[in-house]
Amino acid sequence: MTTTPTIQPGTAPLQVIPENDRSASRRRRTDNRILAAFSGPSVLWYLIFTIGPLIAIFVISLLRWGGFLATPSWAGLDNYTRMFTDSVFQQAVRNSALQVIVVVVVMMPLSFMLGYYLTLKPRGHHVLRVVLFTPALMSLSAMGTVFYAIFQPTGMVNSALDAVGLGSLATPWLANPKTALWAVIAVSLWSGIGYTAVLFAARLTAISPEVYEAAAIDGAGTWRRMWGIAFPIIKDYFGVLTMLQFLWNLFASAGVVLLLTRGGPGSSSTTLSYLVYEKAFVQSQVGYSQAVGVFLFFIGVIGLVSIRRAFRQNY
Amino acid sequence: MSTTTAPTTAPRPVRRPRLVAGHILAWAYGALLLIPLYYLLVSAFKPNIEIFDKPFALPTGLSLKNFASAWERASLGTALSNSILITASAALLTLALAIPASYALARSRGRLGTAIERLFSMGFLIPGFAALVPTVLLAIALGMFQTRLFVILFMPATALPLSVVLLTQFMRTVPAELEESAVLDGANRWMVLKEIYLPIAMPGIATVTILNVLNFWNEYLFTLILGGPNPNVRTAQVALPTLVSQTSTDYGVLAAGTLLTLLPVYIAYILLSRQMENALLQGAVKG
Repeated sequence: MTTTPTIQPGTAPLQVIPENDRSASRRRRTDNRILAAFSGPSVLWYLIFTIGPLIAIFVISLLRWGGFLATPSWAGLDNYTRMFTDSVFQQAVRNSALQVIVVVVVMMPLSFMLGYYLTLKPRGHHVLRVVLFTPALMSLSAMGTVFYAIFQPTGMVNSALDAVGLGSLATPWLANPKTALWAVIAVSLWSGIGYTAVLFAARLTAISPEVYEAAAIDGAGTWRRMWGIAFPIIKDYFGVLTMLQFLWNLFASAGVVLLLTRGGPGSSSTTLSYLVYEKAFVQSQVGYSQAVGVFLFFIGVIGLVSIRRAFRQNY
Repeated sequence: MSTTTAPTTAPRPVRRPRLVAGHILAWAYGALLLIPLYYLLVSAFKPNIEIFDKPFALPTGLSLKNFASAWERASLGTALSNSILITASAALLTLALAIPASYALARSRGRLGTAIERLFSMGFLIPGFAALVPTVLLAIALGMFQTRLFVILFMPATALPLSVVLLTQFMRTVPAELEESAVLDGANRWMVLKEIYLPIAMPGIATVTILNVLNFWNEYLFTLILGGPNPNVRTAQVALPTLVSQTSTDYGVLAAGTLLTLLPVYIAYILLSRQMENALLQGAVKG
């Protein structure tokens, strides 16, 4: 048996001789070469289309750039000083905070309880699962179109209020500055609770039944078993799903807002992510838009780190 | 000591928990989910006057007028074929990029492999939307702004982190001896990948493909901006909301158009419900 001294890429022979320093390092080099050849294209793709643009946000935020076809010039921190004194930006911060906090605080406990309910396999849980799953398959634009019709002055919500004798509560939901943001929040809750509940259910079924049996002997009721036993066991997963909903609502609300209200009336439903979109594509202030993007990015990082801290497994 | 203790073999009488509040809440939310969908379904078959007068009544006939109108006004035929073209090409490209990478990562034990894997895992935490504006600039710089080609090239990047990480996990289950003996028999790396790793990773490839197809098909904001509003280029998701400005309050047409764009996904769900549910559960970590 011989070992070939030259290693051809693609047909690297296996090292059958016991490890010595030279063959080990040679093998590592071959390994790295194969690794580079096979994973190179996807790493490159990822760097060009994801990491590159991400870094570019920071650079663009330092430029004065009036529209995509204009020539940019250096602006230093001008975009940032303008941003922090802009009343629309301040409103967007308040709106995003309200949206994210309400959605996460309402959605997470309800989804967890609903997921727990599913694991008890009550009658009809198969049907319920399918129902809960349906919004997960719906596209943002379909959801936006449906809810646009539903929230119109003559749409489903007002019709339903009329039908039950509460016609006095009817309002043009999307055109009323007091309700526009709440309509956006309602759509997030509508679509998110069911899917999150199914995710919780999948995780909760992995808890061994003996854990509950022991609790049943102790006489713990459903509520205590749910929050006192199941919750601590999956606390880290609760944190992961909270992070996902936080990110999704913070960043992806631009699409929902665009479809339902375009940030209006006024800027009553303008969220931070919609502001990024609006400044860049409606008002041609590319540099300013990316300053908001940088702000959004840091809010995202701070939020993720805090949620992770809050739900760290502690047993 | 007590003679009344039940024999240990008998199942312990488990007290059925009382769940009245649970039943009510769960089904109330279920109803909340279903009512808008029911409204959507019945409105698609009704003329507008009927929608206003009796919003929740069943349609009096099964007229397809709204569907024809939506199909024509939003050029849904072109839009759906664009969606199919973009979704299929992007999904194939994703696999072509992710499969070799996962193979290399699964068999690598070095520091470089770990670093690449970390890089991709980090992608879970990067919300795609963040980089919308720079991506537009990239498309303009490449001379591919508002073309289908750019959308096809771009979308795999958003799917790579999850695809690579999931497929790597599957390929790690291949025992190293299997590859070693194949290499001794003279197989090259591509043959090893094709003959040994691909069959074992098939369930993973199916999961990844289902997820990617669903995400690409449903993608809205990026296809709107990068693909643009041109009816020859735009996807179904971009075409649908144009009905809102065209018809303003013709809910019947809006509902019919929405149903038409939802139909392919729900048909797929009926055929592949088990696989799709699994895929969505595994793909949940995607941000």
